Amino acid sequence: MAADLKFAKTHEWIRPEAGGLATVGISAYAVEALTDLVFMQLPPVGKKVKAGESIGEIESVKAVSDMYAPVSGEIVEVNATLPNQLETLGKDPYGAGWIVRIKPDDPAELANLLDRPAYEALVKS
Amino acid sequence: MTAAVLPVWWDDAADGPTNMAADELLADEAARHGGLVIRIYSWSKPSVSLGAFQPLAEADACAAIAGLPLVRRPSGGGAIVHGTDLTYAAAVPKTHPWGATPQALYDAMHTAMVAVLAANGMPARLHQAAATDPPADAFLCFARRSAGDLVAPWAGGHAAVGDPKIMGSAQRRLGTTVLQHGSLLLAANRAVGEEARLPGLAELLGRDDAWEPRQIAAPWLDAIARTVGAAIDHQPGALCRGRESTIDAHARRFRDRQWTARR
Repeated sequence: MAADLKFAKTHEWIRPEAGGLATVGISAYAVEALTDLVFMQLPPVGKKVKAGESIGEIESVKAVSDMYAPVSGEIVEVNATLPNQLETLGKDPYGAGWIVRIKPDDPAELANLLDRPAYEALVKS
Repeated sequence: MTAAVLPVWWDDAADGPTNMAADELLADEAARHGGLVIRIYSWSKPSVSLGAFQPLAEADACAAIAGLPLVRRPSGGGAIVHGTDLTYAAAVPKTHPWGATPQALYDAMHTAMVAVLAANGMPARLHQAAATDPPADAFLCFARRSAGDLVAPWAGGHAAVGDPKIMGSAQRRLGTTVLQHGSLLLAANRAVGEEARLPGLAELLGRDDAWEPRQIAAPWLDAIARTVGAAIDHQPGALCRGRESTIDAHARRFRDRQWTARR
């Protein structure tokens, strides 16, 4: 797990990228807890979201979960191949399993999120 | 387990959108209460509830349910034809031991039912996933099998498909709470075309009469309350009563064609 990731308490990760964008996915812990993923719905490109708002839904055999925006901003790209290759989320949740790219309204919002040690402590608690 | 009280609502029969709206309020109640809350309810007429992402085309193609009112649940899983089942919704904060993973609440609700059914002569058990399981994407919930489903022996069954499923549940995992829908099939539902009709407890036990939902729900709730070390607090009046305008506002989404046809 890369050190430059930040985490929401709702188990999304975000990584700042060049050009003022940020990549968002869900943590390995979340993927493992959901088990047996069967369906994913991504947001439309161009959608503006507030931090904490839904950016899509993911279904496993027993549960449907919302995925939440870790920061406010505009969805500028989605990983369109992911819904057809959900196993990628389990194999590479912090790489090929990315979900959306977002243009944050205020990069300072990243400071509100958990760093890796704090997130690891959260999931162990 | 720290909750000392288990709030339980017994609701009057309602249509699908109203029931789904009430369950959204139940999730809010779980957050407010800080622990497990349960709602027992029924349906004003035989109705189909569709899983959150089941294609509507599959419902349209299922002749066995033609003409029945249909509502799409916020929770996952397969379609259920309600009317001869015990329907429940349970909600817990994600910080509750049963809220941390999908399987925890699922197993807790079903394990409590095992003891109740055993006391009524039915040796039900939690299903363990097997290679011979029917497809996980079968249209009807009770035609699916996954780990933790409640199955029970049936002399009229076929060995190739295993014991019939009699109880299944599915969740919507919200921001801070988990809402779980579940159904125990008390008897085969004659509103379903014969080709897709599945046996319920009455058929499995060879009974001519089905149990009333309350006959099973009451001891089941007692078993759950014992497990969490809580006293049941039967809420005065139904969850829907006195909150009609809020329920109506929530129900509008579930009546909206856009929601029903979202996939």
